[in-house]
Amino acid sequence: MNFKTGLMSATALTLMGAPAVAQDDTLDIVFINDGHVAPYHVAWLKGFEDAIDAYDEAFPDTKITGRWLSAEGSLEKMIQQTEVTINEGPDVMFVNAINVDAFEPLVAKAQEAGITWIAVHSPMDSADYSFTLGDVVNGTNQGLAMCALSGGEPYKVAIMLGQAGNPSGEARREGILKGIGACDNIEVVAEQPADWDTVKAQSIAENWLTQFEDLDAISGVTDAYMYPSIAIATNSGKDLDFYGYDGDIPILQQMQNGTVKADILLSGTREGWNFVQMAYRIHEGETPDKVYDFFTPLVMTEENHKTALDNGFPEDVEVYYVDEALDVAAKGYLEFGPDSVK
Amino acid sequence: MTTTTAAAPARRGKAMDSLTQRYLVLIGLIVIASVGFGIANDNFYSLANIGILLRSIAVLFLVSMGMTFIMLTGGIDLSVGSNVAFAGGVGVIALTATDSALVGFAAAVLAGMAIGAINGVFIGRLRLSAFMVTLATFALARGLALVIYDADSINVFNGAFLWLGGQSWGNMPVVIPFVALVFVALSVLLYRSPFGRDVYAAGSNFNTAFVLGRMPQRTLVWVYVLSGALAGLSAIITVGRVSSGQPWTGLYLEFDAITAVILGGTSLFGGRGRLLGTILGVLLYGIIINGLVLTGTNPYLQNLIKGLILLGVVLLDTLVQRRKAQ
Repeated sequence: MNFKTGLMSATALTLMGAPAVAQDDTLDIVFINDGHVAPYHVAWLKGFEDAIDAYDEAFPDTKITGRWLSAEGSLEKMIQQTEVTINEGPDVMFVNAINVDAFEPLVAKAQEAGITWIAVHSPMDSADYSFTLGDVVNGTNQGLAMCALSGGEPYKVAIMLGQAGNPSGEARREGILKGIGACDNIEVVAEQPADWDTVKAQSIAENWLTQFEDLDAISGVTDAYMYPSIAIATNSGKDLDFYGYDGDIPILQQMQNGTVKADILLSGTREGWNFVQMAYRIHEGETPDKVYDFFTPLVMTEENHKTALDNGFPEDVEVYYVDEALDVAAKGYLEFGPDSVK
Repeated sequence: MTTTTAAAPARRGKAMDSLTQRYLVLIGLIVIASVGFGIANDNFYSLANIGILLRSIAVLFLVSMGMTFIMLTGGIDLSVGSNVAFAGGVGVIALTATDSALVGFAAAVLAGMAIGAINGVFIGRLRLSAFMVTLATFALARGLALVIYDADSINVFNGAFLWLGGQSWGNMPVVIPFVALVFVALSVLLYRSPFGRDVYAAGSNFNTAFVLGRMPQRTLVWVYVLSGALAGLSAIITVGRVSSGQPWTGLYLEFDAITAVILGGTSLFGGRGRLLGTILGVLLYGIIINGLVLTGTNPYLQNLIKGLILLGVVLLDTLVQRRKAQ
């Protein structure tokens, strides 16, 4: 390097400043979801995108990028999206597989390409990490809340399930039935899959309200089912209780008027933020638990929680009251923002 | 669907012209899409990506070729995606029970043909609406698949059974030469055999074909059986691709196949169309899906773009047809 080129290089570096060097470090995150059919997914993606921007801004030494894909329920489409993504070589892939067995060959391919594979919701032994929800425990808590709030009187409930064979949906069902099994006054009069689909949930709820005139409650493995169920019950003048799962903000808000008795605080926004936090931690050399359980407390009103405790609800189950749940559900950065890893 | 008159030689030549125009439009769109996506992402032209693209559309190729035969008769098959799931289930169960890949292959193809035969008998022999019958078997086959699998997947470890769908020579998936062979065989069947002429005759005018002794009712049965056999082959490829039998495989496949066949210029009313058009339609469809993923296009926009392309091509086709009619 002669003096002239050396001077030019020094000037260029001075003009560009430190970020040019810092931006050599990159973190590219891809989230492939099985389908976006519910308000939960909208919140999920919003949280993910907001977190990408926030982390990119908070850590100028690393260029953080992210994108998401949706397979709209089609296995073939999801496989194609995954293959194309592996060929692109991102750093971390979050994959909410339609069926985990179908993705085993692709996990190996991704790992060969140096990509960290994080299986979402349904754990995979072969994946680098699994991001799980503790579905059985959450479902059990929902069932226990139902037991405690039903007051020992005969109580009829119908349960809306996920898609047949979906591990997460099956685990939630198992948990709900386990929780309900703790008391003998609750009768499950119907169980039906609604395939995570709000429209299907609407027809099922209509049928149930016609078929079971003395129905006391509808339980669901997702809050997506609560929207049509609550609307149909309200329009037909029925006074039902609802037990949800997801922590969708509009459903949490309906706890305050007493319609929704309990919900599980996943919150799509929180989960999206937690994805980016987890990817960043891995990028920084941390090793989270191989099976990482997303923190998902039960949500009730304070009044209902007290009633439930009086009726034998376990004291060790972590419960968020509605205001607190609404706060963290809306602001994913409170728990999983850049400050949480600084 | 049988209101047009049988295609006379002169009219057939004219129809071919419009099909040629369609193919040129499709080729043009394929070139434009490829260049555009290639500029947007260098990876588009990589051998690895081309292999991924071809593998991802192999099943659509097969199913769409079967759909072309059906639509040439003026029919439609909404059950084909569910049939892929059902045939795969039967094949995997047979494989698990016997540990023989050959028995598994045969069971999958025969299961697909069985659903096709049900469609064919109801539509061809009993003259029921193809839409209604295949809508029923769409639900029936998916339900059977869920029952067979007990709604859960079944892992497959038999290397011979997985070979067709899972193996590659370098970046070239084994399934691509296989699909090409099937294309050649089906082309011979459609263009060089009496059966192929019967297919066009049944779609052009069912009653005339009947009066001429071409037995169109029998032809209809066989085109649905053929479509079922191709669904069985697709099931084998799908199982190979994911190393497991999956009860939810083939979801929305019928819509992708119908889209590709219409893109390829086959008339919804029967009697007009060729397999080449379907191949081009599938290719364009595959390139668009692949390119949209590679370019990180918002997934919500992807369906919109697919819909607009289909609408545009159909509109263009209608305008060309009207101009020719004038």
